Amino acid sequence: MTIDPQPEAAIPAGGPSAALPAAPEGGSAGYGPWRLALKRFLRNRVAVAFLGLFVLIVVFVLAAPLWANHVAHTGPNETHTLEKLHVNGEVREVVTPEGKPIGPQLFEADGKFFLGADSRLGRDEMVRLMYGGRTSLFIGVVSGVITTFLAVVLGLLAGYYRGWVDSVIARTLDVLWSLPVLLFGIAIGVSLALGGVTIGPIHIEGGSVWVPILIISIFYTPYVARPIRGEVLSLGEKEFIEAAIAQGAGPLRVMFGEILPNLASTIIVFFALNIANNMLFEAALSFLGAGVQPPNSSWGTMITVGEELLTTQPLLAIIPGVMIMLTVLSLNIVGDGLRDALDPRSKVRLEAHAGIAEPQGTSV
Amino acid sequence: MKKLGGVIAVLVLAAVMAVGLVSCGSSSDSSTSGGGGGKEGGVLNATYASFPDYMDPQLSYTAEGWTAMGEVYIPLLTYKHAEGKEASEVVPGLAKEMPKISNGGKTYTLFLRPGLKYSDGTPVKASDFPYAIERLFKVSSGGSPFYTTIVGAEKFAETKTGGIPGIKTNDKTGEIKIELVKPRGTFTNELGLMFAAPVPKGTPNEDLSDNPPPGTGPYKIINSQPGRGWEYERNPYWAKANSKAMPEYPTGTLDGAKITIVRNPQTQVNDIEQGKYDWMQNPPPADRYTEVKEKYEGTQFEPHDTISTYYFWMNTTKPPFNDVKVRQAVNYAIDSAALERIYSGQIKGTQQILPPGMPGYNKFEPYPHDIEKAKEMLKEANPSDMDITVWTDTESPNNEAGEYYEGVLKELGFNTKLKIINADNYFTVIGNQSTPDLDTGWSDWFQDYPHPNDFFQPLLSGESILQTNNGNFANISEPDLNKEIAKLGEEQLGPEQEKAYEELDKKYMELAPWAPYGTRTLSTFVSSKVNLENIIWSPTFFEYLTSFEFNE
Repeated sequence: MTIDPQPEAAIPAGGPSAALPAAPEGGSAGYGPWRLALKRFLRNRVAVAFLGLFVLIVVFVLAAPLWANHVAHTGPNETHTLEKLHVNGEVREVVTPEGKPIGPQLFEADGKFFLGADSRLGRDEMVRLMYGGRTSLFIGVVSGVITTFLAVVLGLLAGYYRGWVDSVIARTLDVLWSLPVLLFGIAIGVSLALGGVTIGPIHIEGGSVWVPILIISIFYTPYVARPIRGEVLSLGEKEFIEAAIAQGAGPLRVMFGEILPNLASTIIVFFALNIANNMLFEAALSFLGAGVQPPNSSWGTMITVGEELLTTQPLLAIIPGVMIMLTVLSLNIVGDGLRDALDPRSKVRLEAHAGIAEPQGTSV
Repeated sequence: MKKLGGVIAVLVLAAVMAVGLVSCGSSSDSSTSGGGGGKEGGVLNATYASFPDYMDPQLSYTAEGWTAMGEVYIPLLTYKHAEGKEASEVVPGLAKEMPKISNGGKTYTLFLRPGLKYSDGTPVKASDFPYAIERLFKVSSGGSPFYTTIVGAEKFAETKTGGIPGIKTNDKTGEIKIELVKPRGTFTNELGLMFAAPVPKGTPNEDLSDNPPPGTGPYKIINSQPGRGWEYERNPYWAKANSKAMPEYPTGTLDGAKITIVRNPQTQVNDIEQGKYDWMQNPPPADRYTEVKEKYEGTQFEPHDTISTYYFWMNTTKPPFNDVKVRQAVNYAIDSAALERIYSGQIKGTQQILPPGMPGYNKFEPYPHDIEKAKEMLKEANPSDMDITVWTDTESPNNEAGEYYEGVLKELGFNTKLKIINADNYFTVIGNQSTPDLDTGWSDWFQDYPHPNDFFQPLLSGESILQTNNGNFANISEPDLNKEIAKLGEEQLGPEQEKAYEELDKKYMELAPWAPYGTRTLSTFVSSKVNLENIIWSPTFFEYLTSFEFNE
């Protein structure tokens, strides 16, 4: 999925605190807004189930070193082209002389090559899948954090100061938004993969995971910053802001002390959805050779490697693909669940994703 | 830069063909077909995975281009249409006979055959030859360095005006006299390259890929659409004039051919299996190679050894590879058996500069795989700089070979960084000395012509270290060996010279500027409609279009 193209409409100003007046309909007058949101979220079984799935995936990828050291006894980039496995008294070659990698062994070889070898280099697919997932999730989460940070700062500045500050920021975001993201991402990724880039004191080496992180963070900022700006604009009209200003609060105090807490629910929802989008973008960039650079794995690069062996070992492309799908699906459903829980008045177009039709208005 | 091309003596195949010739006894045109059972006519529907670099005889420097235009532009001398050792034999093309070499190897005299015509009807003149050579320099062709020993050529390369005084022609008698600055043992071979194929005077001095100039061969190219494909049809003046003038040159059985660019090699294989196309120029992808080989070998599929060396170069000018011990250690650490699998069996392991099939080749294995020894040697050498960058290109399985190599270097204790560059400009990037961190990386080399000098002069002589378009990636310059290469380059190839090249091979491998790992196997894959047996595989031009023939 992509982030809602008209998100301003999707999340009306307010978040949990604005949801407060709605609380009595649910008969939970005594609860605070966050507690209420949690209650609503827990009632959404599908979202809870997918949250569980996401946690499982995170645990799976975090367990990579354990599996690598204690079960597979190999690292993600170690090649085993000429190695032989002794399985039930039978000798199996990791890569045949014709260049065909071994298929899934499950536990037959004590967990070595659980999912087979990844290519003619004879690397352990399972180990690469776990480490690759780490890379993919890392890129997704870190880009999510950077995007959210940039978006919040830009959104606050533009929405609070308005005038020319708003014009400059909003138009810059518009320009960024209008660029064909993937094409531009590939162009930048390919050129940075070679030489790296230096931004002020920070130097990013070519081939480092920070290159895709940088690309993804920058390109997805407008998708989050614009709705936040919209929300800040409408919050700025509210009486409590006027009250704060009347009490003598400076701009920083108003922005970060008064407006920011009211953006919390929006930020949380966007953060979850943003990670999913980031992971998809990373997979696309890596698949096209502009993201994570070999020999390191990510789920995107693993699909590229697997694609070449599609006719003989289709699982090599399917497994990382399924992992991406499950992660993105779970993040989307959790994100939608969060949105419902934090802002029950928003009845806008959340049913379409992945065909899960969760009645929005009735969950409270 | 490098070029794909080459095959060694496939004697078995030659024998099979000889048997075919005797047993069939059908009276097909003996100059075109070695076997039998074929039929005249038909249009070959074929695919290439990519459009050649140029569809212009003076510009193209890739296997695809040379295969595509080999039967369209005939140079003064050409290569025999035969399999095996004979295929490396230079024979007269547009010239009446082999050049008369005089003045201590500095003067080449040839005579044009009378009555030759281009495919547009223009008569071929002796003065078209210098026109083509001048055109080569004017369009800054990658092939121009072959002809800089012609008197005045060096200057012409700079000024691009005034002609090359070292070539004198007489259009009436057809005499072409070429004066060289110094003897050049490979010049006969170089006169047989398509770079030197005459084109009509007045042919524009620009890339003519979308409208190739008229040629003298049995076919002409029409409808060339860069990036999409091209077609061949009969050269109308072949039957009328040229075939009579050079009767030993094969005429071919096809009426024409249509080439389509199909960029996905998986699709190419499927299309050939289904008979949608009749031939694919590139080998099947690694994933399908074994399947295709098992199913079709001998009937529709034929692997060919090439005259090529795949190697990892090490930059000898910078630490850590400025230490010969380090370079030798890397040679011990590389296991060509692993690389054979990475190439799905499409390379054969070697550990030397010259590949099998090249004169002067004598198999030796200076560095049997021994990782422990490698680690020990590296410990002894104790290089100060252990941070290195490893370069390779995106084309599978070269990228995997690079990943393997990086893994080996890591195992030796280096801190490595892998850079994988798009195959379209890989050689431009690593051939540019200003590219940072050129420490070590992958490369290959296919012969331009069957002469060992073609492996030493451009790749290992100090003279060929260039700022851009460098081919000596190791940047090795050993004064003694440079002199040896230059000296051998002036001599004609004989048993004594072959011995000297063999020695040179050993001397270089002692210095270990490269870690060579294999020689490539390529292949021919055709549909069931095509007579595989008759297809002639040449070391320079790969499959000859004139040798394709449909089954009855």
